Amino acid sequence: MSTAAFSPSPISVSGLRLERGGKTLLTGFSLDVQPGEALVLLGPNGSGKTTLLRAMGGLVRPAEGEISLDPQSVAFLGHADALKASETVEQSLRFWAGLYGGDVTTLDPVMVDMALAHLARRTCGTLSAGQKRRTALARIALSNRPVWLLDEPAAPLDARSRARLASLVRQHCEAGGIVIAATHVDLGWAGARVEDLRPAPTRTAAGVG
Amino acid sequence: MSALGAIFTRELRLAFAGGGGPAGPAAFNLAALALAPLAIGPDAETLQAAGPGVIAFAALLATLQPAERIFSEDASDGTLELYALSPVGLALSVFMKTLAFILAVFWTTPLLAFVGGLAYGMDVTSAFVLALGLGFAAPGLAFIAAFAGALAAGLKRAGLLIALIAAPLQVPLLVFAAGAGRAAMDGTGLEGPNLMMALAGSLAALALAPFGAAAALKARLE
Repeated sequence: MSTAAFSPSPISVSGLRLERGGKTLLTGFSLDVQPGEALVLLGPNGSGKTTLLRAMGGLVRPAEGEISLDPQSVAFLGHADALKASETVEQSLRFWAGLYGGDVTTLDPVMVDMALAHLARRTCGTLSAGQKRRTALARIALSNRPVWLLDEPAAPLDARSRARLASLVRQHCEAGGIVIAATHVDLGWAGARVEDLRPAPTRTAAGVG
Repeated sequence: MSALGAIFTRELRLAFAGGGGPAGPAAFNLAALALAPLAIGPDAETLQAAGPGVIAFAALLATLQPAERIFSEDASDGTLELYALSPVGLALSVFMKTLAFILAVFWTTPLLAFVGGLAYGMDVTSAFVLALGLGFAAPGLAFIAAFAGALAAGLKRAGLLIALIAAPLQVPLLVFAAGAGRAAMDGTGLEGPNLMMALAGSLAALALAPFGAAAALKARLE
């Protein structure tokens, strides 16, 4: 496991308005996250969790407002796992860890932590959804980035893998890192702050039609 | 920079393993070369005269064939986000990826042009000049196709868009690559300038297209 201590600047989001497809998802949204904190963004489908995470990663430009977070400090896990069918688990992890300046020597312990050691030589095309997700989470753990933005990290995971994810998150926070996860289910992370995202109230009649 | 090398090596491997390397476009190119004479007719002189044009045109069509899949998978599986957030950034990642893709997929283009030239009745020197011209033009043709592919990635009717965007931009490369072969065949002595223009067009595409492609993909992320 990565023992490198992180000291990211606190994340501050203020006066944020996010739009998607011409519809306002969030308005006047503010958020502060301190180093060592785990934050769960809870909300139903379509409440803007994913767009918020993408905006925090600098992948989407907010319609209004400020986000103080350097995209170069972000490890991002989207809906898709960014795995290639013809690449093995180990090849994929090694490549991304190398590209992100992560510590490749921690590859083996991280794969053990995420129960991937026996899958190292398997091509990603042959993995189950849960195994793919665990591989993607191992990529995050190997990225050596202080801020983790995770979109539905536990969706295809079974109970044991969820426990592994929770312990991964706890270790990252203990090392001073920040974890922000968007989810519509209970992740069961002890000590995590929960932020409830309500659907945007400013929905015009034209927007609904 | 080793990160660029790592992207290049990985994308080269993926282009061969996942995309089948040059097989698809080469088969497409070869089929076009084999079918054109059936439409043109058996007259040897006509075939020889049409050779450089038909061969350059077949190579151009072959570059459009895989354009749709260069970025569509990366756009849908989340790879683009990871490249965008990496220290290398999206533009350079796209540049290295496209370079690797072109090398993996289109290394056969000059070979097919040479063999095709001989089969259409061109002499060895002219066939070689034509192959050289297409060797110079192919990276540019492919970069333009990749740019169009990036603009159309993940859209419905991407194939139509790619053809509409790429084909007009590819015209100069087509003209000069075929022109080099024809000049060598007709002995006009203009093969040198034609080759230079093909190379210049390719370099211009190489300098501009990846950044256009990256901008298109970035806009798509948002």
